[in-house]
Amino acid sequence: MKPDVSLAAAELARRLREELQPELTGFRANTAGMGAAMLDMIADAWDGAAARLVAENRALRALLQRGGDALAPEAAEEDLRISALTAANDRLRGQLIALHARIEQAEGPAARDLERAIWAFLRASVAARQIRSANF
Amino acid sequence: MADITTDQLTAYLAARMPTWHDLAIEGLSRLPMGASRETYRFDLIHTDAAGTRQRLQLILRRDPPASNVDSDRAHEFAAYRAIYGHGIPVPRMLLLEEDPAPLGGAISLAEDLRGFHNSEYLFQQPAWAPLLPHVARQMWGTMGRLAAVPVERLDLSFTRPATREGTAAAELAYWVASLDRHDIGPEPIIRAAIRRLERWQPVAAKLALVHGDFRAGNFLYDDAGNLQAVLDWEMAHCGDPLEDLAWSLTRSFCFGKDARRSGLAPHAEAVRLWEAASGLEADPQALWWWELFTCVKAQAIWNAAAHVWASGAGREVIHAYAAWWLRNTQDKAALELMGQLTETLP
Repeated sequence: MKPDVSLAAAELARRLREELQPELTGFRANTAGMGAAMLDMIADAWDGAAARLVAENRALRALLQRGGDALAPEAAEEDLRISALTAANDRLRGQLIALHARIEQAEGPAARDLERAIWAFLRASVAARQIRSANF
Repeated sequence: MADITTDQLTAYLAARMPTWHDLAIEGLSRLPMGASRETYRFDLIHTDAAGTRQRLQLILRRDPPASNVDSDRAHEFAAYRAIYGHGIPVPRMLLLEEDPAPLGGAISLAEDLRGFHNSEYLFQQPAWAPLLPHVARQMWGTMGRLAAVPVERLDLSFTRPATREGTAAAELAYWVASLDRHDIGPEPIIRAAIRRLERWQPVAAKLALVHGDFRAGNFLYDDAGNLQAVLDWEMAHCGDPLEDLAWSLTRSFCFGKDARRSGLAPHAEAVRLWEAASGLEADPQALWWWELFTCVKAQAIWNAAAHVWASGAGREVIHAYAAWWLRNTQDKAALELMGQLTETLP
């Protein structure tokens, strides 16, 4: 879509916040403010969403393979719609929970290395999903 | 669900209050308060039995068909009534209607304390900076006094029973069940937090009425920063008073976007104020447990908000906004509490 979705969403957010919200009061003003904030989040996330999910899914598969997990066929990743990538991400994160719980109980340096790698992935994922307006 | 109308409310109250004559509703408007319940403000004018014209300023709360918090009008109504008159300022409850038929959902009516603020964001305006230490004393002082109220003096029959030894495990199980019930996708960080919490639970120093959502934004205050009333008791229950302290300390509510908890005071200062007012010691290990528990509980609430949309049960904007804005923050807060926000060397 042209103009770019991120650009249009950011401009819509600004107008909603600066031009329309001041004309409203109470519950409606609050709804307009939240709508503007959500458009800002869309503007921030839109362009990089697919790339982030592809990178996360690759990293998740690598972690799961290190942990000896059987994985779904790679062909699933050929569908690059956000919904398909998110569904794959959810499946892989579900497997990661099981691996993480198992590795916490395992002994030895290899288990600790993998546990550190899991935490590093989770840390990177949270950083990549950071909301610009978040309190933390 | 459609907003309540003046005609609907007038007809309902006229039938419910037959001794109130010539009843009229003025200024009915929905307020932007809370994500879990609808809140309306209005004036009720009527002629009482003595023939005197009366004007009441009222707050109406209505249960929506779907919410991010599993509570109801009867629970919050009973919580307000339980604490009323025990040194914690709250509005007086006036009427409970549990039948959803007349107004599209169960409702409660309470006195409306007007002329005060409740915004958590107002505190972050430069003019309020000099008042923040006072506001912090008011907030954590009131929370500490709530912790000190003997539960034996309160009618807590509305809430799930608790023991000092079992409340931590029971609350964890309650919110894990909520997470499971409102599943919107795997939560590797929160599940890791749950495993940590399940390994050990603190014993409460005492039982107290836990507010359940005590933070900046859930109390009324005047222009001088004096706390006037504590609101939003829908998650109140009997439990460990450290739960309220921990909730107020979570990073999600650092509205100044810095280390000041609830946007008001540093962590250590908040704990000191609470300890001074409650007469209790906040054991660091127990408080850490409740702070990590807060991440689980909060994420369960944000996920439930997303689940309302995913299931088609509701389309309130605040539910989508809260889930988008808060879920990653809660993950980050949990990482910090588990010592995993920065890389640690082997």
